[in-house]
Amino acid sequence: MRLLALALEDFRNLAAVDLCPGPRVTIAVGSNGQGKTNLLEAVYFLATLKPLRAGRLAELVRFGADRARVSGRFELKGAERQISVEVSQGAKAAFVDGKRAATLEDYFGGVSVVAFTPDDLATVKGGPDDRRRLVDRAVFNRFPAFLEESRAYARALKNRNRLLRDRTGGAVQEAFDATLCRAAARVWTRRLALLAELAPRTAKAFEAIGRTAAPAELNYRAAHLSLDLARASEAERAAALAEALAARLPRDVERGFTSVGPHADDLEVRLGSRLARAYASQGQQRALVLAWKVAEIENLRAALGYLPLLLLDDVSSELDPERNAYLMAYLADSGAQVFLSTTDASLVKRAAGPDTRWLTVQAGVVSSLAGP
Amino acid sequence: MTPDPLNRLVAELAKLPGIGEKTAQRLAFHILRAPPEYARDLSKAVLEVVEKVRLCSRCFALTEADLCPLCLDPRRDESALCVVEGIADQMAIEKTREFKGRYHVLHGVLSPLDGVGPDQLRLKELLTRLEDGRVEEVIVATNPDIEGEATALYLTRLLKPMGLKVSRIAQGLPMGGDLEFADPATLARALSGRREL
Repeated sequence: MRLLALALEDFRNLAAVDLCPGPRVTIAVGSNGQGKTNLLEAVYFLATLKPLRAGRLAELVRFGADRARVSGRFELKGAERQISVEVSQGAKAAFVDGKRAATLEDYFGGVSVVAFTPDDLATVKGGPDDRRRLVDRAVFNRFPAFLEESRAYARALKNRNRLLRDRTGGAVQEAFDATLCRAAARVWTRRLALLAELAPRTAKAFEAIGRTAAPAELNYRAAHLSLDLARASEAERAAALAEALAARLPRDVERGFTSVGPHADDLEVRLGSRLARAYASQGQQRALVLAWKVAEIENLRAALGYLPLLLLDDVSSELDPERNAYLMAYLADSGAQVFLSTTDASLVKRAAGPDTRWLTVQAGVVSSLAGP
Repeated sequence: MTPDPLNRLVAELAKLPGIGEKTAQRLAFHILRAPPEYARDLSKAVLEVVEKVRLCSRCFALTEADLCPLCLDPRRDESALCVVEGIADQMAIEKTREFKGRYHVLHGVLSPLDGVGPDQLRLKELLTRLEDGRVEEVIVATNPDIEGEATALYLTRLLKPMGLKVSRIAQGLPMGGDLEFADPATLARALSGRREL
């Protein structure tokens, strides 16, 4: 999969962009607030139909314009395809070769991009929700069915919380509890399957960049469950949740919120016997996330047989020189098509080659750069 | 300026689901240009549908009389009862001509988020119906989404203790459909529910 050409109209602060990315590496250089990230986000949005940063769709449209448009010519499975996405009045529409398409999954074969942003680097230190998001993004890429499955769980959870607040109880509550348990068991199965693949790869990548004697360990921690989820069958997982829901029902009714289930879980990151969240240095924490991302890319390559597009938003300035050098060398050797943004071109030079496309982004205008 | 009666018709038509202002206008012009009998027949049909069509007092499907033709048909199997969410679902199953039993239309599913509980559905009527002991198997044919599944479980808990056989329609790939066109979630479920041959 390759992006051959990219065009934007009124996307965030970018009024009009027309460019051909490099076959391997494309680097956007510019100061903060000029639109580098927006350029990367456009690629992410084109491939996933989701904004990279949280927010409403309407925010993607340039201030004063009434619609935003991103289009790209992709080489997919040996054929060239023109794919475009439009946002207007808070709604989006995707087109493939000019024809309306409900989803792009069929064209991209599920996975398409792995993004790496400075926000990701704070994941180890951040809240459990940040770590769940990191896991779930990787699960979406690995198992396309997870999109529907996680939506079903979210809906079941919302229904149950409403019942708790209304103090409905009785057989209706029991029926929705059982539905929730089934949907939750499915989410657990997916997350644990992904972690079984990613944990050893992450540990291996961390060994190379961590400069730490203690090994990196990833454990899935299911909140308020005594069962060892990893060893249990899906039916046993559902049964364990049913038990926990029943035991915690009075408390949950009191709070009007379900306190146990995949939405309350955490990914525990350890360096040897110590919790990385509390004991790892900032450099080690960032190295852990970097190891996770490299593991995710490698895992997708192993599972799919090809590499996704990689988007790295100003990550280099957040990494120390040695780890940055590792990342740049990894990117240069991976053979993936990579989009990098940076404030300082010298930081990413190591990833560049003779065919690298250099761009500058200034006040929403993207132009070619001969190369620093 | 268009005359007011035309504006009124366009406004009414535009209230229909899936009909926008432009389509409503086109429909209105069509009615205007057609022979006057058409408008008369159309308005009569519209009136009759609300005046004459009502819900069957036993199964709550659509009928003109007190009981619907399916409930009156002596050839239908009284021992099997298929519970569906809505009339469209009943029509879909009936079209297969595979099911010989009778129906019960719930007119919705349990949905706390939409404020729908057991009292908003035709559940009490279902229980009353089952009292005479003629039904042996209840087939729950609600949709395979969260609310449909929860409603199916709710019914199971309600009906099993009454000594009834309760079954759920199977899920998986559509017949004659191409595997390649199935959505990932359906395909994943079909795979995990595979059978040995």
